[in-house]
Amino acid sequence: MTSTTKAFSFLPFQSIFPQVISIRDVKGWNLKTPQSFRLGSRWLGHTRGESRPLILVRASGDALDSSGDSERAGDGTPVEEEGNRLDLERKLGSLREMVNSLPPVVIVIKRNSGSKFAIALCVAFAFLVIATRQIMLKRKNHYQGSVADLVRRGQLRSDRRGISKPLKCDDPFHNPFIKFGKGDSRIEMFGKVYRLAPVTLTKEQQSVHQKRRSRAYQWKRPTIFLKEGDPIPPDVDPETVRWIPANHPFATTASDIDEDVAQHNVYQKHGVPFRVKAEHEALQRKLESLQSEQKLNEVALDLNNIRDFERPFKSSMKPQDLEPNSSANQQNGHLTLKSDEETGTSDSESLSDELKKY
Amino acid sequence: MAAPLPSIPRALSSPHSILPSPVLLRPQSLPLHRRQTPGSAVSAAFQWNRKPQLAGETPRVVVVTSGKGGVGKTTTTANIGISLARFGFYVVAVDADAGLRNLDLLLGLENRVNYTAVEVLNGDCRLDQALVRDRRYPSLELLCISKPRSKLPLGFGAKALTWVVDALRSRPSSAPQFVLIDCPAGIDAGFITAIAPANEAVLVTTPDITALRDADRVTGLLECDGIRDIKMIVNRVRTDLIRGEDMMSVLDVQEMLGLALLGVIPEDSEVIKSTNRGYPLVLNKPPTVAGLAFEQAAWRLVEQDTMTAVMVEEEPKKKGFFSFFGG
Repeated sequence: MTSTTKAFSFLPFQSIFPQVISIRDVKGWNLKTPQSFRLGSRWLGHTRGESRPLILVRASGDALDSSGDSERAGDGTPVEEEGNRLDLERKLGSLREMVNSLPPVVIVIKRNSGSKFAIALCVAFAFLVIATRQIMLKRKNHYQGSVADLVRRGQLRSDRRGISKPLKCDDPFHNPFIKFGKGDSRIEMFGKVYRLAPVTLTKEQQSVHQKRRSRAYQWKRPTIFLKEGDPIPPDVDPETVRWIPANHPFATTASDIDEDVAQHNVYQKHGVPFRVKAEHEALQRKLESLQSEQKLNEVALDLNNIRDFERPFKSSMKPQDLEPNSSANQQNGHLTLKSDEETGTSDSESLSDELKKY
Repeated sequence: MAAPLPSIPRALSSPHSILPSPVLLRPQSLPLHRRQTPGSAVSAAFQWNRKPQLAGETPRVVVVTSGKGGVGKTTTTANIGISLARFGFYVVAVDADAGLRNLDLLLGLENRVNYTAVEVLNGDCRLDQALVRDRRYPSLELLCISKPRSKLPLGFGAKALTWVVDALRSRPSSAPQFVLIDCPAGIDAGFITAIAPANEAVLVTTPDITALRDADRVTGLLECDGIRDIKMIVNRVRTDLIRGEDMMSVLDVQEMLGLALLGVIPEDSEVIKSTNRGYPLVLNKPPTVAGLAFEQAAWRLVEQDTMTAVMVEEEPKKKGFFSFFGG
């Protein structure tokens, strides 16, 4: 082996293809290696005119010699620098080839004008579909005014309106979101898988639980609620008494509702409710009494006015007789007035009769 | 996104299963149930491919109770009530919580409650004036026991509710088929009032030990009071926690309480949203997992059916290369 081959040991490389590669040493283009192969790549073909990438290789195996490596290490510095430079050149060359292999964009566009037209057509069609959908949705909502919102919110009944269609209610046991496994008890729902496990509770187990609870919990429904400290009525079962603490709010509730009246109120189906009716009647009575008092007052005022006019009309009687009679009449008038007031009757006819006497 | 509950395949179905019997699986074009009641107009507004068959003697007075607070009694009452109304049944929902009423909020009727049962007892109004009809579903009516500031006399409560149910039953034209009573939490006077007229109970519980203990106590009290038809709804179930063995499974709950299963409701964030909107969960389109579970529970309640299988989450099957192509 010559020193040149030993000097350029970079990559233990074995090519798949039996090709010849040119190896260049630091001095010149020499092909002195007994084992030489050439890589025929398109990269080399492209850049043949411009530069010649150098691929420095050596065959792996016999060519490698540790002693040779040690020799190269002694005087290998300029050789390494040259190797790095060659690497860079090689990489630049490959990059240039790659760029040159791609056709310019303008040329591509000009070449593919037909596909551009198709793309534009698809985009225009998509816009058309979207616009049409928007218009259809607007039309659909246009027929339903804001009253539809009232229906949706439950303020109005939907079955009376012509705009609503009958709601289709799905059976809760058959749902399109559920997928059954074939042949097994697996069920798939929204990415989760479930297995059906049968219930194991038997009638005997249920009765066992019932017996356990009957032993553990003894209770009678309370029918009487008493405050703490109150005596138990003689005919009441002590177990049915529920004691309420004296400071409990329920203990302070006064049950002033008559039980019979309450029951009657619950069962009433027609007519005015009991309390409303009672209040109405009470109000009516009060109004009537007020009206009667008012009339009596008016009558009292009228009587006073009448007495002022009474004297000129008493011409048949002497003046001496008039005074005691007048006083007696006055007393009688007062007495009658008082009696009328006491009885509370406003009898205008009786007053007019009295007036006629004078 | 929460997924709806499945129905079991026909191979595992039985008359008392998640699915009704195979006979009922065939789609039937049942005639719409037409009555001379407010519900008939609603029935005409819906088209069902099939409807549940009512079982038991009407009116069915069902108390929804739990013992422990916050497990979902009011949510259950509201959603099952709406589901029953959608099925075409005439329902009266009674909020028996005298101090803290919430059922009107969940149904979105809070601005329309003018009179309560206390006003009826006092004679301020008639019973039909105190019933609030839901305009979305006219076959559903709401009755609140009292307003927060007024109190129902203690000695009266149980009798009053019994009179109310009896008066509803005796209505000539619109007697209800279901009376759902939303029971207050605890086992105090409110509980006693609520269970007085009931002849069946739905016990709502969650898969945690505190709720189970209270539920067991309440079940014992109900049985002492003579209510034997008690079914259980397990609410707020997290299948992922059950799979990780951080939560009791539904079968464990059933083993502890020994009650038949009416429904299993998975945890669903839509519950909170529906509460805020006043729009029950079962009305959501598309249906949510919890809404579908409530509908199924309502169906079983109508038919007096129970669940015979529950869902257990498993690891998803690993897909092969060709699964992309549908293999």
